Amino acid sequence: MKRSQPQTKRSQAQAGAPPLTPFLLAGLALRPVPPALLQPFLTFSMRAIERRHPSLFERLSGVEEPEFLIDPTDLPFAFLLSIDPLLPTLTAYTDAEGLEPTATIRGPLMTLVHLLEGRIDGDAMFFSRDLVIEGDTEAVVALRNAVDGAEIDVVEDVLAFLGPLGSPARIAFQVGAAIFSRAATDMETLRSALIAPALKRSEAQAAELKDLEDKVAGLSQEPRRGRRRMPVKKTKKTDTE
Amino acid sequence: MSATMELVCPAGTPASLRAAVDAGADAVYVGFRDETNARNFPGLNFSRGELADGVAYAHDRNVKVLVAINTFPKAGNPGPWMKAVDDAHEIGADAVILADIGVADYAARNHADLRRHLSVQASASNPEAIRFYAEAFGIKRVVLPRVLTVAEIAALNTQIPVETEVFVFGGLCVMAEGRCSLSSYITGISPNKEGVCSPASHVRYEEEGDVLVTKLGECTVNRFSAGEPAGYPTLCKGRFLVKGKPQYLFEEPTSLSVIHMLPELAEAGVTALKIEGRQRGRAYVAQVVAAFRKALDAVATGEPVSAEELATVTEGRRETAGVYKRDWR
Amino acid sequence: MSKLTLGPVLFNWPPEKWRDFYFRIADEAPVDVVYVGEAVCSKRAPFFDPVIPDVVERLEEAGKEVVFSTLALIMTEREMEGVRALTAPEAGLTVEANDISAAALLKGRPHVIGPFVNVYNEGTLSYLARQGAVRVCLPGELPRESIEVLAAGKTVDLEVQVFGRLPLAISARCYHARARGLTKDNCQYACGDDPDGMELETLASEAFVAVNGTQTLSFTCCNLAAEMNEMGVEYFRLSPQDTDMVAAARIFREILDGKESAEGADDRLADLVPDMPYSNGFYYGVEGTAFTDPESVSE
Repeated sequence: MKRSQPQTKRSQAQAGAPPLTPFLLAGLALRPVPPALLQPFLTFSMRAIERRHPSLFERLSGVEEPEFLIDPTDLPFAFLLSIDPLLPTLTAYTDAEGLEPTATIRGPLMTLVHLLEGRIDGDAMFFSRDLVIEGDTEAVVALRNAVDGAEIDVVEDVLAFLGPLGSPARIAFQVGAAIFSRAATDMETLRSALIAPALKRSEAQAAELKDLEDKVAGLSQEPRRGRRRMPVKKTKKTDTE
Repeated sequence: MSATMELVCPAGTPASLRAAVDAGADAVYVGFRDETNARNFPGLNFSRGELADGVAYAHDRNVKVLVAINTFPKAGNPGPWMKAVDDAHEIGADAVILADIGVADYAARNHADLRRHLSVQASASNPEAIRFYAEAFGIKRVVLPRVLTVAEIAALNTQIPVETEVFVFGGLCVMAEGRCSLSSYITGISPNKEGVCSPASHVRYEEEGDVLVTKLGECTVNRFSAGEPAGYPTLCKGRFLVKGKPQYLFEEPTSLSVIHMLPELAEAGVTALKIEGRQRGRAYVAQVVAAFRKALDAVATGEPVSAEELATVTEGRRETAGVYKRDWR
Repeated sequence: MSKLTLGPVLFNWPPEKWRDFYFRIADEAPVDVVYVGEAVCSKRAPFFDPVIPDVVERLEEAGKEVVFSTLALIMTEREMEGVRALTAPEAGLTVEANDISAAALLKGRPHVIGPFVNVYNEGTLSYLARQGAVRVCLPGELPRESIEVLAAGKTVDLEVQVFGRLPLAISARCYHARARGLTKDNCQYACGDDPDGMELETLASEAFVAVNGTQTLSFTCCNLAAEMNEMGVEYFRLSPQDTDMVAAARIFREILDGKESAEGADDRLADLVPDMPYSNGFYYGVEGTAFTDPESVSE
C-alpha cells in the first residue's frame, strides 16, 4: 500500500518559514541602524516571544537564570540573552568584554541563525568548527532544545503581538514602530534569502554568507565606532499602552 | 512480500512530535521531563500537559504515542517511575517502553491494559531473555539491543512470541545498551540511573592553539587539528592511545544508517523500525522520518529504495550498518 | 557472618595458568565462595572446559562453595545452548546468572544473580528473590545509598565487589581484535596478550580504561577496604587480577576480622597492583575513577 505523504498546512508552514529567533534581528544590522535604536525593538521582541512561547522559558527553568552571550563574529555587536523567568531580556552590546555570561556562543551569523532555528541539531552543533562554545555546555544544550521546541517565528510573533496595522499599540510604539516597519521589511528580505530551498547546499550557503558579509562589511563603517565597552542603552518601558 | 513495517520516530519536544507525525511516522516515542527516561537532557522532553496535547495531535492523525520510561529507579525512590507509568496510562499513551524489572512488574500489575514494550536498555538479546519478559510482564514488543546481526534477528524472530523493533538510524551505542557505566565512570552521571550519557554539564571544549580539545569531565576524549570536524565528546566515540597509538578503538564518530537494508529487515520478520534521536532537533526529525517513510513505502510495494532517499539522510554523514553486518564485531 | 568470594577470572589466561590459579586458591585462599566460568567471551570457553572438572573438584575438596558463572552477553544460538546446559536442572549446578535469560532458566531453583544483571532497586531485587535468587551481586555503579536501602529491606543475601578492576561495559564488538585490525570472528585470541586487560590512555596520556576483549573495565582497581564493614551486606567479591590473589584474600579477610585497618590494607594491596590507582567513586556517588577518603565524606 502506498502511503501518501501527509502534508498538513502546518508542515508546509514549517517548511516554508523558518521559525525566526531573536537573533534574526541581527538582520537589522544589515541596515545602518544605530545600535541604540535597536534596543527597544529587541526588548519588545522578547516580550512578544515570552507571551507567545512560555514553554521556551519553562524549558530553561532547570538552569539557574542563565545568561547567554550570542556573538555573531561577523556583526558589529553581540547580544546578551538573560533568562530571568520573570523578565527575560535581550540586550545588544557593542563590546562584550567584561560580561560574565553562563555561556558564550560565537560564530558567523548564518551559523547562529541555523543553530537557533533548529536547522543545526543538538549533536551537529558541535561538529562545526565555525561555532565556538564557551562556558556551561549544559546551558547551551538547554537553550538549543528550548528554542527548537518553541517554534519561534519573530516576524509572526511580533506582528501578532502588535495587533492590526494602525492599532494604538503600534502607533504608540513611537521610535520602535518606525524601526519596526523597516526591520520587518529587512527581516522578510532576510527570511526569503534564508528559506531558499538551496539552503542545504553549501555553495548557496556560501553565496548567501558572502552577500551578508558584504553588507556587514559596509555596515562596519557605520557610526558605532568609538563606542566600545558600552552596553546599548536599555529602554525600560516597552509596553506603552 | 512482508507486511509494512511500523516506523517509530523520536520526539524531544512537542514541535518534534508534530514534525514526526506530519512527516509520516506510524508511532512517536517520547519521555517525561525527568530522570525516568534515557534522554534526560536539559530543556528536552514533555510535561504532562504537553504529552496530552501530543497524544491528541497524534491520535487525530492515526499515529501512536509511546512513552519511554526506561531508566532504572533509584533504590528507595521508585515513585517517579510509577507515577510516569500511571500518567502515561491516564493520558492515553499507546504503550510504555520499560527497562527495569521492578517497573515492568508494577506496570503489569497495575495497568494490565496499558501495552508494554521492552526498552533496548533492558538488553534482551536472546530468546530466553525475551520470553522471560513476555511471560512475566506481558511485554508485547522488544526493542532489540544493537548487538545482533540481521541473520540472528531472523533466527530470533522464529523463537519468540513477541514483536521486534530494531534501530535503523541515528546515534549508535557501541556497548550493549543498559550495560554501560563508562559515562558514570568518568562523570558520576549514568545513563541507567540519571538517564544521561556523557552529560553536557561535564563537556568542555578547549582551544590549544589550532587544536580543539574535547573533554568529558577530566577525560580528554579527542583532539581535533585545524579544519578537522569536531564531535561531541561521547566516550565510546573518542580517540584513545592503544599501545601508544591514537585509535578510535570502540567506534569512529559515526552513526547508524540501514535505510538500504529495509527489505532484509522485513524478511527477518521485524515489526517496527526505530529512528534514534529524541535529543535532535525537529528539522532532523522531519527530514529523517520523511526519508524513511518514502523508503518504507517503496519497500512495501516492492520498489527499490531510491538513491534520492538515501542521499537525504546520509548527506555529509559518516555512517555504518553497525552490527547488522557481521564484520562490525 | 561476612564472607569473601572470588569472582570469575574475567581475563583470557592460558588454561594451565588458569587451572593453577584456582588450585592455589583452593589450597590457600581464605575465601568462602569461588565463581568459575567464562563471563566475557564464548570463544574462550573451549580452552577452559577441559580443566574445569579438576578445578571444581579441588575447590570443593577445600570446602569452597563453587558457583558457575554464565556469559554476560548472549547473542548466538550456540551461546544460548551453553547457558541452557549450564542451568539445566539435571546438571545440578549452582549458577550465577549474568544475563536475565539464565535467571529465567533457573526460575524456581536457588541461584545467584551476577553483577551484569541490572539490579538497581528493591522492586527488581524482590522480583528476582521471588524467582529463586538467594544471592545478588550488585552492579558496580551502585552508590552507597542504594546499597543501604537494598540491604535494609532485603530477603536475599547481597554481594558487592570490593577489589579488582570494575566491569564497565560489554559489547558485541571485540576491541582486542579491533586494536589489531581484526574482527571478533578472526580475533586470533588477541585478548590473551593482556592478563589484566589492555590499558588505554587518553590523548593526554592519562589512564582511561582497560579493555578485555568485548569487555571494558576500569583502569583503576576498585578498593572498598574502608567501606566493606559498614555496607550491611554479607558477601564481598574479589575480582581476580594477575597478581597474588591469595595475598589479596588474606588482606580482606583480616579487615573483616578486624585485624587490619583500611590504611594498612591500602599499603599492602599497593604491592599487589602497583600500577593500578584505587577507586571507590561509584560507592560515593561520584565519578567512578575517584578515590575518596571516607573521612572526607559527610554522613
